[in-house]
Amino acid sequence: MTAPVLAVEGLTVSFRGRAGPVRAVTDVDLTVRAGETVGLVGGSGAGKSTVARAVAGLVRPERGAIRVDGVDLAGLGRSATRRLRRQLHLVFQDPYAALPPTRRVADVVAEPLAIHRIGDRAERQRRVADALAAVRLDASRYLSSFPHQLSGGERQRVAFARALVTRPRLILADEPAQMLDASLRVAFIDLISELARDRGVAVVHITHDLALTERPCDRLVVMQAGHVVEQGPTAELLDRPRHPYTAALVAAASGAPIPRGAQ
Amino acid sequence: MALRVGQYALVLAVAATINFALPHLAPGDPITYLYGGTEQGLTPAQIDELGAQYGLDRPLIEQYGAFWSGLVQGDLGISVEHRQPVVDVLAEHLPWTLALVGVSTGLSVLLGTLLGAWAAWRWGTRRDTAAVLSVLAADAMPGFWIAMVLIAVFAVQLGWFPSYGATSIDASGAAWLTEVAQRMALPAATLVIASLGGFFLLSRAAMVTVLDEPFVRRARAAGLRDRRVALRHALPNALLPVYTNLTLALGAVLSGAVVVETVFAYPGLGRLIFDAVTVRDYPLLQGAFLVVTVGIVLANLVADLTYPLLDPRVRRARPALEPA
Amino acid sequence: MNVRSRRYALAGAATLATLGVIAVLAPWLAPYDPGERVGPPFARPTPTHPLGTNDVGQDLLSELIVGTQVSLLVGTVAAVAATVLGTLVGVLAGYARGWVDTVLMRAVDVVLALPVLPLTIVIGVFFGPGLLTQISVIASVIWAGVARELRAQVLSLREREHVQALRVMGAGGVYVLSRHVLPAVAPLVVPQFVLATKTAILLEASLAFLGLGDVTAKSWGTMLSIGYARSAFLTDAWLWWIIPPGLAVALTVMAFAVFGYALEERSRPALRDASRPWPRPRQSPRPDRAAPAAPALLVEDLAVHYRSDRGAVTALDGVSLSVAAGELVGLIGESGSGKSTLAAAALGLLPPAATVTEGRILVTGRDLATLSAPELRSTRGGRVGLIPQEAMSALNPVRTVGSQLAEAVRAHRTLDQEQTRARVEELLALVGLDPDWAKAHPHQLSGGMRQRVVIALALAGDPAVVVADEPTSGLDVLTQAEVLAVLVRLSRELNLALLVVSHDLPMIERIADRIAVLHAGRLVETGPAADLLAAPRHPHTRSLVEAAPRLRVRVPGGPR
Repeated sequence: MTAPVLAVEGLTVSFRGRAGPVRAVTDVDLTVRAGETVGLVGGSGAGKSTVARAVAGLVRPERGAIRVDGVDLAGLGRSATRRLRRQLHLVFQDPYAALPPTRRVADVVAEPLAIHRIGDRAERQRRVADALAAVRLDASRYLSSFPHQLSGGERQRVAFARALVTRPRLILADEPAQMLDASLRVAFIDLISELARDRGVAVVHITHDLALTERPCDRLVVMQAGHVVEQGPTAELLDRPRHPYTAALVAAASGAPIPRGAQ
Repeated sequence: MALRVGQYALVLAVAATINFALPHLAPGDPITYLYGGTEQGLTPAQIDELGAQYGLDRPLIEQYGAFWSGLVQGDLGISVEHRQPVVDVLAEHLPWTLALVGVSTGLSVLLGTLLGAWAAWRWGTRRDTAAVLSVLAADAMPGFWIAMVLIAVFAVQLGWFPSYGATSIDASGAAWLTEVAQRMALPAATLVIASLGGFFLLSRAAMVTVLDEPFVRRARAAGLRDRRVALRHALPNALLPVYTNLTLALGAVLSGAVVVETVFAYPGLGRLIFDAVTVRDYPLLQGAFLVVTVGIVLANLVADLTYPLLDPRVRRARPALEPA
Repeated sequence: MNVRSRRYALAGAATLATLGVIAVLAPWLAPYDPGERVGPPFARPTPTHPLGTNDVGQDLLSELIVGTQVSLLVGTVAAVAATVLGTLVGVLAGYARGWVDTVLMRAVDVVLALPVLPLTIVIGVFFGPGLLTQISVIASVIWAGVARELRAQVLSLREREHVQALRVMGAGGVYVLSRHVLPAVAPLVVPQFVLATKTAILLEASLAFLGLGDVTAKSWGTMLSIGYARSAFLTDAWLWWIIPPGLAVALTVMAFAVFGYALEERSRPALRDASRPWPRPRQSPRPDRAAPAAPALLVEDLAVHYRSDRGAVTALDGVSLSVAAGELVGLIGESGSGKSTLAAAALGLLPPAATVTEGRILVTGRDLATLSAPELRSTRGGRVGLIPQEAMSALNPVRTVGSQLAEAVRAHRTLDQEQTRARVEELLALVGLDPDWAKAHPHQLSGGMRQRVVIALALAGDPAVVVADEPTSGLDVLTQAEVLAVLVRLSRELNLALLVVSHDLPMIERIADRIAVLHAGRLVETGPAADLLAAPRHPHTRSLVEAAPRLRVRVPGGPR
């Protein structure tokens, strides 16, 4: 068994509300190993996005440890934190907002390399082409396009290529398919987990729709109201949900016809 | 709310401190600023004596303390020109400015907002463009110039309105009110023309944004009349930014009042400020500045306190999430 | 930038350029030295002195021309200073946040709350009249507005996901600021500068008018000041002494304003793209020839075109669709397929750029195109209701749920207060909400509850047809299921003709009797839900069915 790429222990996050602090996440544990895709699922308000934002450093945890490759994010110096940032990437839900509107695709994808001063011109070009190829975008067609010239699905692929370009160890994807047409969702999620397996990247896939987790995810972690209520291997959890909330999520995603009542 | 009150207290403190600091910072002897100095026929010996009397030989920090304790007791010094306490002079002129600025602000908010909302409704049409250009033109004219032109046309050429003052001595009762209204007409019109633009542009921009909101489309889909959609759905939402920006607008109207009252010889604070500038009556000028600032702060406080009446979202505690 | 705002920007820029040239060439353009006595005092206009002379016999036209210099100089220099200071403070406060932001913005708020002109007067009086005083005094009061505007822009930029993404990538503050924030903010600085100049010029005129300008430097304000002091506005002289300098100020300020707003409009896409609220309905003399047995909603051979910069774009082409009473039809389409256009057309709510070029839409047998404006209005809500996209913001935030429902009820029926209240409670019960929620404001409701209210609103006028445009967007799967259950129940209970428009086939599958597939503006396949899913005929339908995300049907305990 390899050491986990991401190890979250006892993570607790609170937000400042008008009537005092509001707990968004309470005592969450989460481990993801290299090459593994873990689905973090729950309804709105479950706290799953907050976990991702805490790991990505956008939200400060109140308690708990976040370790990437065994290194605790808390208590690291500024430059060490930045080096560690190369190892993880967050893919946002909205592909229309996540890309800078005035940059061409080539610059968008190369940006993490520029931030971390990785490689010379040729090396960067090579890596960008490689990342675009990985997400099945034809570099010759897309390199000089602006984000607004692309469809939602293409944009999300560009965002994912940007996540891949520093060859990170961990990718957090927060509802990455939510804004895409339903027919493109499965293909996109499959692409993420396939690349994870090929490249040994750990992936946390956050979604409210269990239908998007069955094929790509190795394990599922179910959250409700800030707590982890159940976790386990995907098939086992979908077949035999123990917690009623998990059962409700499975039922909602199963596509069973809504009862029509008396005609 | 406590934060806002603190904010306004700070504004007042800064205004007061500017008053205290200016005579010390400005070139020349503070006594010159307090008493008119040698221009008022004072000998150097008298200046020194007055300086000691005013504690100008004491450390600055003590003087600052004394300044505040005077302020708290309502002591704003003695007017050089009027030879009476500044507070009394201001109290005499304040009501006229309150009346003039009150009437003009009310009209200007009402007209500007409605016209802005109307233009937004017709966004991009010729009528909208015409409205925007006329308002920008009105906004571009200096208030004192509008005042002079109005006097030249309506008072001198047509003789419809009197051109100066706020009332006449011999009128009383209903005749007095008519007189006051007549004499307020031109100055108020000037202020409305000069300050309409801000409200118009604000309300037009807000309304254009609101008209794009899904709830406006939904209201139309429910079969509501256009006028009802505009007045009951779009306008109440478009009013919110207008209301919160009252600060800037009130400052503009008051600034306008200074020059406009001057031209119309209207016996308010503005005219007082102009006269104080002409004769360099520094204590009176500072007192007037302080009173105007207090007025603006109070008006904003009222706006803040009444804002929840317009926007239910801020009435009760809701979990507005911010990183702790 | 659209054609109109480009034209305004050009007009403004041309005026400003002309004024600039006049200012530079003033010494040569002016017929006389404005400081010299060249005629009798108070002279009326003559061919040698087109604007007459002032109280000491100086040529007014020459004063006017030379005055351009001071007005423009004070205006621009003060504005440059204010813009530089304001930009620095605004960007720093917006980007640094925390205590830096708090301290800076308190200062900005204080300056903004102080009365501008009285403040400038007080400072101006103490430091004595003069150009430098004027410039610094003006700059010191107008920088705060610039700072506030730019801070707001930087703050909103900071919260955008693409800037947050940079932080996740490990980008440092300097990198984000210099590569992303400043380039994005730079275009906004220009309009701020232009508008600051406008304010500065007006302030200069006011200060000069009050005698706080440099008396030796002739500006338009000092001309007016002297004209006022000599009571020129009480005599005929107002025409040549008062009017010209005032017009000059107004023209200059207006040129700056028009130029500034045109630039601002360009840099703010939200304002630029906002479309005209709504068009007049298309009037057609065609008589109503509805068959009595027509379905509740009948779309016949519908074609809709959009006008765009690159000519007409076809959104819908030859679409025919019917929904009978009690039937639930799902319209499936990917983004760009024209499905939202169809939903809008069914309510006669097409955006102004869209035109129905062919075909017709019958709602309970009435052709929408033949209806007068009042008839169309009573049809909306009364015969066909809409459950709009973005349900989360489909409720007016400042009014209670009950008042919005009551209003929708009364739009179609004359009821007294008690009857209206009863109907509102009935509607809430219909969608499974407690009547007490009538008193609540939308922000107090959860997403699912808000969507239920939106459904109740669509039903308020008792319509025979309801169009739901992506009714579950933005809701999680659990809430989705609840909302769908409500829709299905209502379509049966109220015998509604319900058209649900969505890109989400698995969602439609769960509720629809029939499914229609829209692809690139054309209806490629229509049929009973079970048949269409089991044996899709069109390749597009087939790919939709295959690609749809759904859980494998589970046999309890069975192998995976």
